[in-house]
Order: sequence, then C-alpha cells, then structure tokens
Amino acid sequence: MDNREAKFILSAYRSAGQDASDSHFAEALEQVRRDPMLEQWFRESVAFDAGVAEKFGAVEVPSDLREKILVGAKISRPVHWSKRFGSWAIAAAIILIAGVGSLIWHTTRPARLAGWQMQALNVISSLVKNESTFDAQSQSPRDLVEWLRANKVPTAEKLPDHLNQLASVGCKTFSWNGAQVSVICFMRPDGGLIHLVATKVAGEKRKGGAQFVQQGEWTTATWSEGDKVLMLALEGSADQLRRYL
Amino acid sequence: MRGPDFQQLVDRQYAPLFRFALSLSKSEAEAADLTQQTFFLWASKGHQVRDRSKAKSWLFTTLYREFLGRRRHEVRFQQIELDEAREEEMSIVPNINAFDSAMVLQALREVEDPFRAPLTLFYLEQFSYQEIADVLAIPIGTVMSRLSRGKAMLRQRFLLRERTLGNKIVPLQSERTKHG
Repeated sequence: MDNREAKFILSAYRSAGQDASDSHFAEALEQVRRDPMLEQWFRESVAFDAGVAEKFGAVEVPSDLREKILVGAKISRPVHWSKRFGSWAIAAAIILIAGVGSLIWHTTRPARLAGWQMQALNVISSLVKNESTFDAQSQSPRDLVEWLRANKVPTAEKLPDHLNQLASVGCKTFSWNGAQVSVICFMRPDGGLIHLVATKVAGEKRKGGAQFVQQGEWTTATWSEGDKVLMLALEGSADQLRRYL
Repeated sequence: MRGPDFQQLVDRQYAPLFRFALSLSKSEAEAADLTQQTFFLWASKGHQVRDRSKAKSWLFTTLYREFLGRRRHEVRFQQIELDEAREEEMSIVPNINAFDSAMVLQALREVEDPFRAPLTLFYLEQFSYQEIADVLAIPIGTVMSRLSRGKAMLRQRFLLRERTLGNKIVPLQSERTKHG
C-alpha cells in the first residue's frame, strides 16, 4: 500500500478514534506508523476533521423546531383500533350531516355575515361534504390549538369551557384577504358538529358580548378576544349555541 | 412507539437531522420542513422498524430520500465522474480554527451534490463508512471515494477562503515549523 492509497482509505477514518480496531483501516494505519510524512498528514487531517465536526455540530437549530416536531407527530400519530372505531363513527356522522347540511347550505347561504365569516362557513361546508381535508386531525382540542399556534395561525387563547370538554375532529386553515383564519371542528354530544373560527381581521374588533346571527339553519356567535375575532357556528338554534359559550 | 420513547428519539436526533438537512437544502425553512416531515413519517411508519437500534439510520435514510424526491422534479442529478482525489488535493490541510460554524456550513453546502451527503454524515461524527453506505444505499468503496473527493473539495473551499481573508491566517505548517 502506498501513501496515496492510505490517504484514500483514511478519509473515512473518524477523528474520535471509533475505527481504530476496524480491520479495513489496519494496513493504512500501519503505513502511518511507518512513514513520518504520512503520520504528520494523518495527524493534521484528524485535527481538521475534528474541527469541522465540532463547528458543524455548533450550527444552530431553530428554537421552536423540537416543539413543532412533537406537536405535529402527536397529531399525526396513528390511531389505535378502538379509536379507529370512534373515527368511523365520526366519519359516519359527518357523511350524515353532509347529506342534510349540503341541501340546507345551498338554499340558505348566509347573507348577513362578513366576508371571512362566509368564507369560513364555505370551508366548513366543504369539510362536511368531504370535498376538502383537515390540515390536522386529533380528538384532543388542545393538540389542535397547539398545532395552530406552532404554525402561527390565529386561534383562541383559551377555549370556552363547554367547548373544551368536547372531542375535536380536526382543524383547517385558510387565508382571507391576506389574513390567516383557522377553523376547529368539534363533535357535539348530540352527534352534530360545532365549529370555532378565529382570525385577526383589521377593523373587525367587536365590543361587548357575543353577537348572534341566525341565517337559515346556521347560527353564529361572534366576539373579540384581544386582537382576535372568534366565531362559533353550528347548524341549530341560538339556545343550542349558547351552551358552548 | 410510545410518547416518551418518541420524545427521546426526537431529543437525540432532531438537531443532527436538521444539520444534515441544512447541508442538503437551500434554506433553513426547507431544512426544518424536511426534519419535521421525517419525524412525521416516523410517527406514521416507524412501528414497521422492529429493530429500534436502526431508528437513527431509518431517520437519516428517510430524510435523504425525501430530499431526493423533492429535488427530482427540479433538476436531475449531474453524473459526475467519481475519480479518486489527486494526491496534492489530499495533502494540504487548512487551518480550520480560522473559520466559524456559519463558514463551515457554507463550505459544506458548496461541495457538489454526490459528495455532500456522505461528507455531512461523516462530520455528524456518529456515522461510520458502513452506516453512510446504508443510509445512502451506495457501496462502501463509493463512500470512501466520495469522502476522499469531498474532503478534497472542502479543503479547497477553505484554502480559497483563507486567501480571500487576506492571508491573515497562520497556516498549521508554519506553526509547526516555528515550534520545531
């Protein structure tokens, strides 16, 4: 083995010495011991590699990356068989609602709501009809809120207590005139759905308590929370909606 | 994999995975996305890996494949002749202490595609030539060839920077001569 071959093989030799007993390097290392010039090159080369590794290992990692991975994976984790049954039940409920809901939706499209609210109801309608998919799915509303926060999409600072006790289905985000809007869908105990919409639309700040709008089968309640505007929507009465505020 | 196990795996591997992704991709955002996507795939498919000691290798392989998949639509890999590094290219060793992390990362990113991935894995320190071969699905001989050539390219980048820094850096050779 000449020095050129030895250098070629030793290119794969790790600087911390993990490969010292690897037979692939034995002959090249023996050559190093025999040749002072090669030994000098090897010493410099190992120091160079250790320096590059150290500096490369010091390259900063985004501070929120770990949190995003953990939250994202929690939401994406495969469901167990027992939970899968629950998912089928939810899917069946959604299909059932889609049948009735889509008919009502096309005949009673709300007219007194702001543009982002109408768009939100369109998005909800599309989800219910299975024409679009959730961005994230989890039965835990907290996971979805965390996911939305991690992705810097407006969402409620604190979910209303009665809403927090429900199982969620999933969340969806969209953009309205440059403003990000989030929708979280929940399962109601009676089998229906209820949706929480959040955004930061300029000039949409609302004073006082929740403002109710009834439009066809849809009832919405809208209120401000800090710099955000929240809307709760369901297909039902204002009395039904009040239970979740 | 249960929650705490997954969290431990993330804690151990997310930083090296991100750095590997960063050396391959065009931006920090793309690297973060690749890293997230890799763990997402682990969350949904990781249960298929029965030997948990292979988790690290699986993650790096998956990230690399994900990266290649995205690049496939942008540009085909250039077929570069994998000739062995010339003797003189391997002989000059720059003074690495003169460079900071950002410069090291930049130099790594300038190394041509087929050489960059094995080189980056090598400098993540935990990877042997055998593991690099497994992750990149290439023979051991090719790993050694690419490491040899890749290191030569990296050294050239550093030597070029040393010159552009105005020869203010004292080479190791001079240091050694001074101390006898």
